[in-house]
Amino acid sequence: MQDSDIQKKIDHEIRMRDGACKLLAACSQRDQALEAAKSLQTCSTRIMAYMSELQRMKEAQVMQNVPRRSSDAGPMDDRLPCKGKVAISDLRIPLMWKDTEYFKNKGELHRCAVFCLLQLGGEIFDTDMVIVDRTLTDICFDNTIVFSEASPGFELRVELYSCCSEDDYSAGSTPRKLASKLSSSLGRSAGKKLRAAMEPGACSPVSNGGAAPLLLPVPSVPGPKYHLLAHTTLSLSHVQDSFRTHDLTISGNEECSYWLPLYGSMCCRLAAQPHCMTRQMMAGWLKVKQCGGDPKTWTKVYAVLKATSLSCYQRQEDVDANVEPALTIGINKETRIRASEKDPHGKGQNISISNRYGGEEVTHTLNTESREDTHSWMEAFWQHFYDMSQWKQCCDDLMKIELPSPRKPAPVTPKQGSLYHEMVFHPLLLQISISNIILDSLPESLDGIFLQHFSKCSYKEPARLTLEFEGSHNIFVICFLQCLLWHLANQNQSNTGEGLIRKWKSIISPITKWSRSECNSNTQHFNFNLRIQPPSSSLLAPHPASSHSPLSQRSTQTTLSCSSSTSSSSSSNSEGSHSPESSEGGPFSRPSPARRSLRNLRARLDPRNWLQSHV
Amino acid sequence: MSFVPGQPVTAVVQRIEIQKLCQGENLILGFSIGGGIDQDPGQNPFSEDKSDKGIYVTRITPGGPAEVAGLRIGDKIMQVNGWDMTMVTHDQARKKLTKKREDVVRLLITRKSLEEAVKHSKGSHPRQ
Repeated sequence: MQDSDIQKKIDHEIRMRDGACKLLAACSQRDQALEAAKSLQTCSTRIMAYMSELQRMKEAQVMQNVPRRSSDAGPMDDRLPCKGKVAISDLRIPLMWKDTEYFKNKGELHRCAVFCLLQLGGEIFDTDMVIVDRTLTDICFDNTIVFSEASPGFELRVELYSCCSEDDYSAGSTPRKLASKLSSSLGRSAGKKLRAAMEPGACSPVSNGGAAPLLLPVPSVPGPKYHLLAHTTLSLSHVQDSFRTHDLTISGNEECSYWLPLYGSMCCRLAAQPHCMTRQMMAGWLKVKQCGGDPKTWTKVYAVLKATSLSCYQRQEDVDANVEPALTIGINKETRIRASEKDPHGKGQNISISNRYGGEEVTHTLNTESREDTHSWMEAFWQHFYDMSQWKQCCDDLMKIELPSPRKPAPVTPKQGSLYHEMVFHPLLLQISISNIILDSLPESLDGIFLQHFSKCSYKEPARLTLEFEGSHNIFVICFLQCLLWHLANQNQSNTGEGLIRKWKSIISPITKWSRSECNSNTQHFNFNLRIQPPSSSLLAPHPASSHSPLSQRSTQTTLSCSSSTSSSSSSNSEGSHSPESSEGGPFSRPSPARRSLRNLRARLDPRNWLQSHV
Repeated sequence: MSFVPGQPVTAVVQRIEIQKLCQGENLILGFSIGGGIDQDPGQNPFSEDKSDKGIYVTRITPGGPAEVAGLRIGDKIMQVNGWDMTMVTHDQARKKLTKKREDVVRLLITRKSLEEAVKHSKGSHPRQ
């Protein structure tokens, strides 16, 4: 890496960092602020890494000018092992919540935004940011990070940064939060938390994440700040083709706002592909003969040295054409290669390659055109052996590295600060299922019951729903309406990290009285007023896909008032507990408890029935 | 498969393990039961002996967890998770199957074809 290259990179990162600072100062939404702060941290770390690299290069240049002593140089010192690709993927960091926190799910949900910085050589990559709260058992990062030029003595530093996701750090703090902070008495722990929030650097000794001295002042910008939570360093000995667990060094303590109870280890898959396994190290024309064969039976082949074998093809084109090689000679740690004395029958030297297959020793002899060729081949073999000795277990078999697919744009999930403070149903899809409609004559367009969209309504005001039925029939809705309120999938589905899908349920108590609206047109209107309340924690369960929901006895959360309803002339004034004929919405659903108990009662009272229960 | 009061009941049984399917707030097994000591056994279409007051499988939801596990219509349930089903009321049986805290039920069931199979195998290998 040249000086000018590094300088260009530093300039680029400084520009990125300035952009991140500006974004941080300007944004108001929490998730934007967290992302901007993450970019800021990444850029700062990169700048420091580049600057220390620059420093090292300058020092190396100075050293080069000093004349080297003769004892320093040596034939083996000049040999450098080949570089390789190192990939780390499937990072998973287990958390260790207190069981009271995890299972009972009480109290405020303390959330942190976390991400990892991975540094190898001069390259620094960051993973995506994940929001973590006590409903998660592990922090998982799906990213695959590939470092292209790593030497076998590499050190891959993994750093986990965390930032508390609840501090009020945006410029305009809502008065509600301020009021709640002031009103709650500052106990010892609350006071500590506030103090920790105000002095982010107080808890962790290393707040810039790097060991290099600070050469540039990190701009202090108001906003979320990430702190180093844990780190570890991986090297060649940790490379394996499967998942392994590594220990983490944790910084910070429980008093810090960004604290997460880490289990203390990290699982990941660290794979390496040295270039000697993926690239052709040497190729050329040779003459091969098997040991013990007639000297005249030399076969001319095009040999390619790659990975753990020397593949001999009949033609050079066969290599690219993926044709099976005519002969494959294994080259591994056990192989012995010797250059023999000059062959009296031909020019050039012989190279003999011996392998042990089981109890047998098989030797192949190669003959090259000239001494220079022999020398190049021997040099290639020595280099190959050296690479394999340096890369150790990576040269046994080629480890698979999946290149990260081009980044799909992250699904836009506007994270809400708090569902309970800012509910705007926009738009609201209201699904109404009307059960047990008794009609004097069935209209054909019964399934033409239209779903109305709400353009905008907040939970404070009641929502108006208008159903329109076309046709000149009198529709008597005798039973109850079950109403499902769904927040539009985009707005309400939490991201995968949270694992909770909150659905709004509004259950309407049975309607017993209806009166027909006075209108002359053929359409009849049913107007409802719906008051929506945020769900209590007991409703935080995935909702069945069917349009029927069990009528819960404790459905006193919503009040329903009808502004107009059908006439009560028919025998529709039942208590609303007529169970419909087909109570199952789907093949698997169970009839609601209310209906079932009624049915059981009736069935039990009738001795002629042989009762059947669905389980 | 009827019983003589005071004598032990013997039957060839098969173990069936059904994983309950979570459907919203309910855990579903996917079959219906009939019978019980409080029910009229004469109306049981599946029992051989019309005085058998045991619990029988009367309906299987196609593709449901019970069908997948190997339960068949007409099976008589002898035990549910260790609880006896040969001398229970209908509601007691239903309750043992629909415990909310359990997401798997292990049944011991018996059916006519099992008896036949054992008889045939015994017949072809008269080693006893």
